[in-house]
Amino acid sequence: MARYRYPVIAESEVTPRELFRQRRRFIQGGAALGAAALAPGLLLPSSAYAWQESLADRLEGDLPSRGFAGGETLTHRKDATAYNNFYELGVRKSDPEVYAHKLITDPWSLTIDGEVGKPGTLALEEVLKRETLEERIYRLRCVEAWSMVIPWVGFPLADLLKRHAPTSRARYVHFESIHDPENLRGQKSSILDWPYREALRIDEAMHPLTLLAVGMYGEVMPNQNGAPIRLVVPWKYGFKSIKAVVRITLTEERPVSAWMEQNPEEYGFYANVNPEVDHPRWSQARERRIGERGKRETLMFNGYAEEVAGLYAGMDLNEHF
Amino acid sequence: MSIAKGPVLMFRLLVLTSGLLPALWLAWRWGQDDLGVVPEEAMVHLTGRIGLALLLATIAFSPAFRLTGWVGIMIARRQVGLWAFAWLCAHALAWMGLEQYWAWEWIWHDMQDLPYVRYGVVGLVLLVPLALTSFRRVRQAMGERAWHWLHRLVYVSAALAATHLWILTRADYRLPMLVVAVVAALILFRLVDAARHRQ
Repeated sequence: MARYRYPVIAESEVTPRELFRQRRRFIQGGAALGAAALAPGLLLPSSAYAWQESLADRLEGDLPSRGFAGGETLTHRKDATAYNNFYELGVRKSDPEVYAHKLITDPWSLTIDGEVGKPGTLALEEVLKRETLEERIYRLRCVEAWSMVIPWVGFPLADLLKRHAPTSRARYVHFESIHDPENLRGQKSSILDWPYREALRIDEAMHPLTLLAVGMYGEVMPNQNGAPIRLVVPWKYGFKSIKAVVRITLTEERPVSAWMEQNPEEYGFYANVNPEVDHPRWSQARERRIGERGKRETLMFNGYAEEVAGLYAGMDLNEHF
Repeated sequence: MSIAKGPVLMFRLLVLTSGLLPALWLAWRWGQDDLGVVPEEAMVHLTGRIGLALLLATIAFSPAFRLTGWVGIMIARRQVGLWAFAWLCAHALAWMGLEQYWAWEWIWHDMQDLPYVRYGVVGLVLLVPLALTSFRRVRQAMGERAWHWLHRLVYVSAALAATHLWILTRADYRLPMLVVAVVAALILFRLVDAARHRQ
């Protein structure tokens, strides 16, 4: 696993991860014992924190790591986890980190249905057990004209989809996020029609760059970045990369995403990063790379043109924005 | 009519504080690296919000005087107006330096291309003649009628500022809605007041 160059705290100050986890297991064990003593019927189910434990163990090991960002410097982890959009947790860039604890990720299950031969609802640990994890370093370009370079950990979405045998009628893939207005303060307001929904064309979904991510910076995905499992489509604006996914539905008809519904003039189905097609209210020609001074020129398809331009051959990208 | 000097002085000090204190607060937070992950962006947003708040306060001085009849309000109005102008200039400078990093061709490009920048620039430019004619001598030389006519531009400027804020907002419209409501209320008060005086 790659080493990162920002020792925020001195190495000697950090509790070794294994020791930390031993302590946590001990405390959880103690809590379970206490709970059992008070109310024997409420003994914690053995699955509690199951996916986090086993995922953390796997992240300990050596995962293959590949860079897809032209060797550009990684964004500091503390910036990538303290500045982003996750409207379920609030509209300010700082809200997702502040209210991260309000996203309940355990237990978590994922439903795959629609035009598939083998639909099903699986506990997240079952999903993860089947997949080979790897690290991918991608640029992330937000529609608001800022960008980051993030080392994600995950697996190709195609791997998961193939296991469920898409039928010949499966032309689109629709994703749905968690809906929990009790805990998620953003879902109490009507800025979007909750739950958050996104979609890809099947060939975009099956593209080898399209990732389902469960971690970043070599660690389990922080809640504010879309734990426990999120989409990463590096050549599209960030809002396409839906967070906290609970359902994946393959469809014949093209789905309407939450942002298309909110403002169809501004947010199209494709939302490919394109410096030549401006957002109606601001320019997309340049971007602020978080942590850098000055602006960078935005790259066509966010720098992934070689890999993905073929998907859109012959399409008018001004029309299909 | 005699004016109690004490309260007027206190009120002018209050205006001075509301113009100056945000600057100290911003400088402190900048120095403490307490403006979030992108302090440049926070600077642009905060200077704009403070400037807009002071601009609305300036306009609100007139109805406040009509309602209370206290002369101190009118004595301090020029001062608060100039603070608003200074903050909005700081906002424009922050945008040029911290958002555009002095890339003149892009500053020029965005002024021409982006409606929210255009509205902001026009709103600020309209305030320049108001600031220049705010000196007592200029005002006397102009004559009250012409001066009052010219200074109605502050309403146009505030409406442009509200439009500017509205356009650049994404998803959460609570603040721009509040600003639009305040601007509308201030314009309405002005119109009703003018109609009453004509009778």
